[in-house]
Amino acid sequence: MSSIVLENIRKTYGRNAPPAIADLSMEIGSSEFLCLLGPSGCGKTTTLRMIAGLEHPTDGRILVDGKPIVSVADGLFTVPEKRNMGLVFQNYALWPHMTIRDNVAFGLTLRKMPAAERDATVDQVMTTLGIARYADRYPGQLSGGQQQRVALARMLALQPSVILLDEPLSNLDAKLRLEMRTELKRIHAEAGSTIVFVTHDQWEAMTLATTIAVMSEGELQQVGTPDDIYERPANRFVAEFVGNLPINIVERDDGRSDALHAWIDRCLTLFAVDGARVASAGIRPEALRFGSLSDEEVTRHAAGQGVIVDIVPTGGSWIVELDVAGHRVFAIATEHPQVTTGEQTHFWVERHHLHLFDRDKKRITL
Amino acid sequence: MTQQTVLPEERAHPLSAWKRLSYLVRVKSADPTLLLALALLIVFGYLIFAPVVLLLVDAVTVHFADTARTRQDLGDLTFYYLNRVLLSPISRDLFWWPLAHTAIISAGAILLAFLVGAPIGWLLSRTDLMGKKWFSTALLVPYMLPSWTFALAWLTLFKNRTIGGLPGWMETLGFTPPDWLAYGALPIALILALHYAPFVILLFGNALKQFDTQLEDSARSLGASPLTVARRIILPLMMPSLVSAATLIFAKCLGDFGVAYVLGVPVGFDVLATSLFRAISTSQAGASAVLAGAIVLLGSLSIIIDMRLLKEARRFVTIGAKGAIAREAPLGKWQLPAVAWAFAVFLVSAGIPLAALLLTTVMHVPGSFSLDNFTLDYWIGTDLGTTALHQGILLTGEFWLALWNSVWMVGLAATGAGMLGLLVGYAVVRSPVRFVSVALRQITFLPYLVPGIAFAAAYLSMFAVPRPPLPALYGTPIILVLAILADQMPFASRAGISSMMQLGREPEEAGQIVGAGWFRRMRSIVLPIQRGALVSAILLPFISGIKGLSLVVVLAVPGTDLLTTYAIRLVDYGYSQAANAVVVMLCVVAFAGTMLVQKIGKANLSDGMGSK
Ligand SMILES: Nc1ncnc2c1ncn2[C@@H]1O[C@H](COP(=O)(O)OP(=O)(O)OP(=O)(O)O)[C@@H](O)[C@H]1O
Ligand SMILES: [Mg+2]
Repeated sequence: MSSIVLENIRKTYGRNAPPAIADLSMEIGSSEFLCLLGPSGCGKTTTLRMIAGLEHPTDGRILVDGKPIVSVADGLFTVPEKRNMGLVFQNYALWPHMTIRDNVAFGLTLRKMPAAERDATVDQVMTTLGIARYADRYPGQLSGGQQQRVALARMLALQPSVILLDEPLSNLDAKLRLEMRTELKRIHAEAGSTIVFVTHDQWEAMTLATTIAVMSEGELQQVGTPDDIYERPANRFVAEFVGNLPINIVERDDGRSDALHAWIDRCLTLFAVDGARVASAGIRPEALRFGSLSDEEVTRHAAGQGVIVDIVPTGGSWIVELDVAGHRVFAIATEHPQVTTGEQTHFWVERHHLHLFDRDKKRITL
Repeated sequence: MTQQTVLPEERAHPLSAWKRLSYLVRVKSADPTLLLALALLIVFGYLIFAPVVLLLVDAVTVHFADTARTRQDLGDLTFYYLNRVLLSPISRDLFWWPLAHTAIISAGAILLAFLVGAPIGWLLSRTDLMGKKWFSTALLVPYMLPSWTFALAWLTLFKNRTIGGLPGWMETLGFTPPDWLAYGALPIALILALHYAPFVILLFGNALKQFDTQLEDSARSLGASPLTVARRIILPLMMPSLVSAATLIFAKCLGDFGVAYVLGVPVGFDVLATSLFRAISTSQAGASAVLAGAIVLLGSLSIIIDMRLLKEARRFVTIGAKGAIAREAPLGKWQLPAVAWAFAVFLVSAGIPLAALLLTTVMHVPGSFSLDNFTLDYWIGTDLGTTALHQGILLTGEFWLALWNSVWMVGLAATGAGMLGLLVGYAVVRSPVRFVSVALRQITFLPYLVPGIAFAAAYLSMFAVPRPPLPALYGTPIILVLAILADQMPFASRAGISSMMQLGREPEEAGQIVGAGWFRRMRSIVLPIQRGALVSAILLPFISGIKGLSLVVVLAVPGTDLLTTYAIRLVDYGYSQAANAVVVMLCVVAFAGTMLVQKIGKANLSDGMGSK
């Protein structure tokens, strides 16, 4: 329900430390479900905590609904108590000395809500999240998944305009994870809250988010829809970070000129791309086609040739490993591959599945 | 829709230092932790740092009584006192002999404590000794009770005609103990050794427990004999814990006033603590400052050495692999002698003295076991015909006053110390300015370096005259409460710091997120979570304060007597039965308190709390 704008945010912990966030600018639209995605230590938690007010930026501005809540240049800083944001901590941070009911009710008590109304709200939230049974227990007596729901309930009871979640699913088993995912989607759909969700799990990001922001080493790499991120990675980092099986990368500048390089050269010619700008090329395993082709088809697709080294079934799909002039190249088959190890095979790629990057590792748009 | 905002080519104007400062002030003022830390720093600067500094200054400035003698003005820098205590003809009686005595009894106490404690530490940690659990509590009893209790017990048994009053048991039984057995270095060292042997048992035992048996095994498998293993491997690794126990015992002996007062002073055997006490009670402010300074210096040195060694020890711990299971050596045919030895140590260090004390309180003539000699007069009798004490202590107003004083003064001080300790813990762990947190930690630790009697001398220097905003406090209960509180801060603040470290920031941050301000977070989140820690941070100082003598003996006056000082006063009058009765009551309070803490400590662990 609220939009958030980060402007030139910089954050250093301690005077001489390198910046955890170098210069971050980002807009999060109202009712958006944004995932901050990135490897460990890239500054996701730091960003989230700055939005919540638990850390203060060293430089920059943060605006909510157009109004600045933090502005270093103007000496403005709104304390977290006054921001009306909901945050769920990675380890839940429930209050061990309060019952589940008291944990959920505490924020409402602070807001001086009448007791009857408060109890009704608390009961309703706890029922929705299926924790009403444990109302009189202490957090120490609940399982991890149950504690996690309590943390969500505690946050939802206050109906915050912005919901911040720091890897909330990371401590759950696969089944609970799926349940909570559905729960989060429902909350987003029903309450229409703006949600910022931190994760280093791309599957989580892909399946939950309306928008993904990929970060690396304190810098924003790309912001876009899950499809954008996957199909049009803005740079090599995003291309390599996203994807279950790592993307196949061919470095054109590594000083070798073998069959694989030659194949890429032929592809570029076929697709009429100026090869001089292209420093590297990437093909996702599922986009790499393979099989026996006639000579005419080989020319038409600019196909290359390799030897099948290994076929690994992964339940419904197969990972096929090729050897091309000593390089390992991976492909994914969704139907049982009609090839056997040791066989020669052709491989090729469609134009729109070829990702090209320049010397600065930025995407080259075809 | 989201998109990446286009970054301006160059940075918005560089911020002025002033703007940045005002921003930081804004950020920090949202959170009063720094203010709290600064306030605490001021409070403890006043209650701990200032008295100690003042004491040291007192040692080198002219006091009013000595302006004529030194021919200098009040407050001038002078070496008169240093000269008097360290070099003048009376320096031998005032300083050098007491120093030598202190050295002798500490050395003796350390040696004896090791002879008694080390084998027991080993028996308790590495063997299948029968009744290990019972022994590991019973053998710590001596430390739970005031050390000078045992001096009184000794006197009860071995007192001879050299000093007045009732005879001891030995005398009554027809054997006159020689002076060297009844008074002076031997009994003092022995009693201090038995009292502080638990240090050795605990420190040495724990070190042995953590010691990795694999190291031992690998040496054995290389063909080393058990003796070589002990000498070349176990001993070097145990060294830090041994030295640590030794320095601790030394520091404690240095400040221990009661034992030497009871067993040494009547025959003119002075140690530094009693010499300091005499200097104070004869109003020699300058000399007492020098003496106290010397004790502080020696105490600090020993503790600093100990801390150095503890750091070393930590290095060793990382070498010993974790999770190694300490093997229990079967005692076999040595089982009986071992149990007998442990039990004998228990009898000598706790059983016999306590029984003797208790029995004395119900006997007219100590040690005479005829039926008509038994009496309850000293507890509940009336018209006893003695000059100062007409009734049994349970009927004497002063006793109840002293008990009440002990309870409320020590109770108040301990509560204050516990609460402040928790706040100190919070401020130290959370303070955004490292310097403040380090300073706070060091200042609250300072009393640990200053033996009780020297700390009391410091309090006299500080509060015998008005120190704005406080009036002169000598003779009031306030000075006792403040001194006990300050003296207990090292433990209380350590407890606070360690429990705050464990707490972590998150529960509080979660409170911030749902809208709780600082005070509300303190009240509803931090303090309730730390309830258990708070209880022990109050109770342990209470126990240690209630049995403490060295600190209060200097500061209490008859109107503000505590149980300890009241007992000592009775000793001075020669009413040993009544004194013993008071001491028995004191032991009951101290022991019950200790047991209570252990109970509560356990209850907390399994409280269904803690979501990790
Ligand atoms: N309180 C702190 N003091 C100093 N440095 C910190 C602090 N918190 C984070 N950092 C540093 O800032 C950087 C970003 O940390 P952050 O916790 O935001 O990473 P993250 O993306 O959340 O990683 P993860 O996925 O492991 O949680 C890291 O290099 C980290 O070491
Ligand atoms: Mg994180």
